[in-house]
Amino acid sequence: MNPSTRHVLEFILDNLVWFMLVFVLVVFSLFIPNYFQLGIFANIIEASSVLGVMSIGLALVIIAGHMDLSVESVAALSAMAVGILFCSSGIGLGIQLHPEWLMVPVSLLLALAVGGLIGAFNGFLVVKVKMSAFIITLASYIWVRGLVLVISGGRSAQDLAPAIRWFGIQRLIGLPLTAWIAIACFVVFSLIMAKTPFGRHLVMIGGNETATFRAGIRVNRNLIIAFVLAGAIAGLAGWLLAIRTSGATANLGVGLLFNAFAAVVIGGVSLKGGVGTLPGVYAGVLLLSAINTAINLMGLPANFTQVIHGLLVLAAVLLDAFKQTIRQRLA
Amino acid sequence: MSEPLLVLDNVTKNYGAIEALKGISFSIGRGEVVALLGDNGAGKSTLVKIIAGGLEPTSGRMLFEGKEFLARSPAEAKAAGIETVYQDLSLCTNVDVVANFFMGREITKKVLGVPVLDERAMEAVVSKALANAGTRIPSLRTNVEHLSGGQRQAIELNRFVHWGGKLVLLDEPFAALGVEQTRRGLDMIRQVANQGIGVVIITHIMQQAFQVADRIVVIRQGVVAGDVARNKTSPDAVINMITGETLAGAGPAG
Repeated sequence: MNPSTRHVLEFILDNLVWFMLVFVLVVFSLFIPNYFQLGIFANIIEASSVLGVMSIGLALVIIAGHMDLSVESVAALSAMAVGILFCSSGIGLGIQLHPEWLMVPVSLLLALAVGGLIGAFNGFLVVKVKMSAFIITLASYIWVRGLVLVISGGRSAQDLAPAIRWFGIQRLIGLPLTAWIAIACFVVFSLIMAKTPFGRHLVMIGGNETATFRAGIRVNRNLIIAFVLAGAIAGLAGWLLAIRTSGATANLGVGLLFNAFAAVVIGGVSLKGGVGTLPGVYAGVLLLSAINTAINLMGLPANFTQVIHGLLVLAAVLLDAFKQTIRQRLA
Repeated sequence: MSEPLLVLDNVTKNYGAIEALKGISFSIGRGEVVALLGDNGAGKSTLVKIIAGGLEPTSGRMLFEGKEFLARSPAEAKAAGIETVYQDLSLCTNVDVVANFFMGREITKKVLGVPVLDERAMEAVVSKALANAGTRIPSLRTNVEHLSGGQRQAIELNRFVHWGGKLVLLDEPFAALGVEQTRRGLDMIRQVANQGIGVVIITHIMQQAFQVADRIVVIRQGVVAGDVARNKTSPDAVINMITGETLAGAGPAG
């Protein structure tokens, strides 16, 4: 095989999920009436912002060879914290700050801090006490959701302060600012993972933790940072969720975790760690969103989405195994 | 005689009630190659891990360049100038050759105050280092998982030659290498020692030890059973020390 065909093949393999996304969009545009519209595409991006942001944090931890099942509950807790403080009806306290824009950084910092703290708690237990991340974060998934129920009493907060809501309403080139925030997150974290020593170290830790420790990389420190980031990013997802629903309910975001997992796996991240890129994850998120939109437009019962997502995850895993065999031939 | 590079003074290591090392004392000079021999389970790898910062000794002390020394992590040992090549390879197979070569010591440039990997500079260094050592790897951007065992070991060996430091520990470095690559590896060790770097090599193959070492240290059941200059002993005498048929510190046999 000559080097140029090899490069082309490797490029296709590396970006397979993007090709799948384009393929799916083309097929839907051809066969589903009214699918091919800018508004629909904008909607696909908009609908995927919360899930997209959450998937970034999950992907970081999985690439580093661990697991964070708590992201969904953490997002809900952050959303509830913002909702209780800055909503004016329901259980919202309706706190007003002057000037009004001050509520934006305060609510954002609150959401990030709530998420970051739980992430630090998870990371500390996983790294220092050397317990399985699966169990630790499963516990957090449960108790954090429980905390949401406790502080809300099972009720909801509505009517988020307009100054914060503004991010969900104000549009730039057809997309609300919340969608731009998600896109910006993907760009920033993709660069961190691909171009900085920290990102490189996370990938290597996911590949062979012992080797990185022996090479003098501060494995524990890097892993704790990864968990804190996953928590804080989940907090940001919660903030976006609160804006999108203009408040928070006790069961806000239930089921997002499994969609985030699906997006991460479809995006080419290996659950074994060390493999995967964030642009791929974003393509995975968009792919899920594109399919949801298609199901809506075709008027299929929404219950079909879950079946299709499940099959997609299965297909992604099989495809991954297939990619491995091709790559071995290439080398 | 100049001051030795590393002195081990009665170093012990217990795992619960089991004494893996019962008190090891020997020293390594600058530019000296010491072959560490001993049967399976004699404590060689434990000793290497203690020097390299992977394990903490139970008691005893070490002097590195005349100063009290104890590495609490591999990072500390590396900072002091101790490089280690482990028996089970320490490569991340999910990243490419360049990333492995620079693991933990990446070359960066600042972009807007953020450290960013300088891939081009790193690739240039790696291709030069591999070319000097006569190692051929088709593409430096290939992930290590797609390389052969010999190529992987070559990367590790080239890595320690490149980074050098002051003391190099090699735990059975040639296990996966062919005849020609092993010969080249032994040459590399001499070359490194000639730069004044101390080398400790663990091996099971007597012939390799006699080819490359200046001094042979035998460990048996957690103690030093023999510490002799290579040219004052013979393979048979060393085998006797390993199996325990001769007294400690025995000179030339027969």
